[in-house]
Amino acid sequence: MAEKTLIMESNDGKKIEVPIDVASRSILIKNMIDDLPEGAFEEAIPISNVSENVLTKVIEWCTHHRSDPPSSGDDDDTRRKTTDIDEWDQKFMQVDQEMLFEIILAANYLDIKPLLDIGCKTVANMIKGKSPEEIRKTFNIQNDFTPEEEDQIRRENEWAEDR
Amino acid sequence: MADNAELESFRRQWREEVSRKTKPNNAPGPSRSTPGRPTAAQPRHFPPTRHEAFARKEEDEEGPAAYSQNDIAQRLDRLSLAKPEEEDAFHLHSRKPRAEPTSALEHFERAVEREAEGNLGDSLQHYRKAYRLDAAVDKEYRNKHFAGAWKKTPQPAVPSEPTKVASTEQGPVVPTPELIDSFASAPILSADPIFEGDPRPPCPIAHVPSEVIVEILGHVALADPAAFARMALVCKRFAYHFAREQHIWKRLCQSAKFGFESMHYSFACDIHGNPEYTLEPQRRYTPFPTDIPVQLPSPLSSWSEVFHTYPRIRFTGIYISTVNYTRAGAASAYSNISWNSPIHIVTYYRYIRFYPDGTVIYILSTVEPVDVVPHINKANVTAARATTRKQNPRNAADMGSGTQEPVPPIAMEALKRAQWGRWRLSKPVSPTDPPEEADNSFPNKDGPTATPDPRDLVVETEGVGAKYVYVLHLALRSSTARPTNANPSHPNPSRNTKLVWKGYWSYDKLTDDWAEFGLKNDRAFVFRRVRGWGLN
Repeated sequence: MAEKTLIMESNDGKKIEVPIDVASRSILIKNMIDDLPEGAFEEAIPISNVSENVLTKVIEWCTHHRSDPPSSGDDDDTRRKTTDIDEWDQKFMQVDQEMLFEIILAANYLDIKPLLDIGCKTVANMIKGKSPEEIRKTFNIQNDFTPEEEDQIRRENEWAEDR
Repeated sequence: MADNAELESFRRQWREEVSRKTKPNNAPGPSRSTPGRPTAAQPRHFPPTRHEAFARKEEDEEGPAAYSQNDIAQRLDRLSLAKPEEEDAFHLHSRKPRAEPTSALEHFERAVEREAEGNLGDSLQHYRKAYRLDAAVDKEYRNKHFAGAWKKTPQPAVPSEPTKVASTEQGPVVPTPELIDSFASAPILSADPIFEGDPRPPCPIAHVPSEVIVEILGHVALADPAAFARMALVCKRFAYHFAREQHIWKRLCQSAKFGFESMHYSFACDIHGNPEYTLEPQRRYTPFPTDIPVQLPSPLSSWSEVFHTYPRIRFTGIYISTVNYTRAGAASAYSNISWNSPIHIVTYYRYIRFYPDGTVIYILSTVEPVDVVPHINKANVTAARATTRKQNPRNAADMGSGTQEPVPPIAMEALKRAQWGRWRLSKPVSPTDPPEEADNSFPNKDGPTATPDPRDLVVETEGVGAKYVYVLHLALRSSTARPTNANPSHPNPSRNTKLVWKGYWSYDKLTDDWAEFGLKNDRAFVFRRVRGWGLN
């Protein structure tokens, strides 16, 4: 018998067959597999928050990282300490912003910590070295401070700029 | 009421100063401690002199002698880019001043401004330029600024500098913590479209749940705390997380890159930068170890406060002490028309760059910061010093430029005289700790009563010969003013970004002798960020 697979169904109704060890990168799926008896996966698992193109992308990541050692503990400090992203992941994350945040949301929902991390680091890299105005522009965020509030916050946090 | 208090404190300072001046200079000998002065703040492992320089510094720290700092700040400020977030005065393309005066009158105005600030060097430059452009510029200036007073009354008018009045708060001001709390559930709004009627531009970050936002902020903070601070100014939600996510701050405090993990409380290497090996590796002291539960140090209530106030050396920039002094010169024999002899204004700088591995680069030079600071790094110093020994400049220049742009000769000259050194903070002691052992050869004549101030910093550098070690005793203090002198009220400046002098000695390793440097013209070191330093 070939390797065991299960079927994931995206919120737009597309079914994707995935090897179990790939799907197990998602802690959500892994826990589900552990809880359910063998052979209970005839039915597709609905992934209700994730659309097909995002799910494909996430599965692509999981396939590439299928043999990585599982992340130990959820507040693993060694994981945080490395701020650099490996080359494959960097390429993987070269997507438009909408897709980037979709991947982050999916990783969060499916509980794939390493992928979530890479996503957050990618966003953090977009933020580094930018002024508040440039950050707003980058992410299309509205400045919702009144001028007085902005000034007050600026003065409050002035020390952290470290000049 | 406030005026009275201020007046009172001024009087007190003045009286202290007078009484000190009338006393004969009474603390030169390293063996004698003056009875009138408290010796309690004396750290151990030091020659027990209380340095005169320190006494002088203490009193004016919060007062008018933000001068030294203002001074340098303004000099540097002129050089920095207009882009605020990349504030870095030292890169070559930032040499261009922000708005350089062009006409004679503008030069004159700038000169008057600088003079009022006490910045003679700059002021002189501008005066000279102004007169070169227009010999009668002073009349023009008078006509412009004091036209009224000039005509009506002949008596000198009080110069009314156009003061920028900071916009006073109108209406009730919400205290900041409450203001921040009110941001708790503020949504991230998407920006307005550039053209009215267009659909709003997509703002995918708006749909991201808080826990993920916090995760992103955590990564930003660990990469660069200053970027984290700028995030707080983006929108209300970020401001809220910035202030309230204490675990990010805790992690920052414990991090090796910016936090206290890389603070050294005992020397980590010898003065040439070679790591010290001991047979018995001792556990390095760190105030907030990661492997055991840590508590907030008692007077502080949050980790952001710890990060803000706890004595911390920055690796992301350089500490500069600028000294200006005047020296009487002689009139040139050829210019018979001069009625008075010239006065030279001499400016020199001390630079200290700290490294997380416990090493230091120390440079005393007259080369201006823009010319030398970008090149101060270990590779360049090694290369520059190799040149002096081998007398083969071309070779060394190649070495220095291996990874980056070539070092200009002027910087090379300064780097040649750079000294290696090492640094440590003084370890904060708790009463439960066993008394710290004397871990080096410094004489300790003060007895065990001396308690070290946790803000004390010791830097040892190479001396003129192999047998000398120079010991700088510095203390971390807070800046009272910001580089940009736009807003006079800074309720919350960076802490511990200033290093004041407490003493400067030369130690002879052969004879166990301490000799003191006078520090007649000492000025505090001020921290300036340099782009790219300390960040990967």
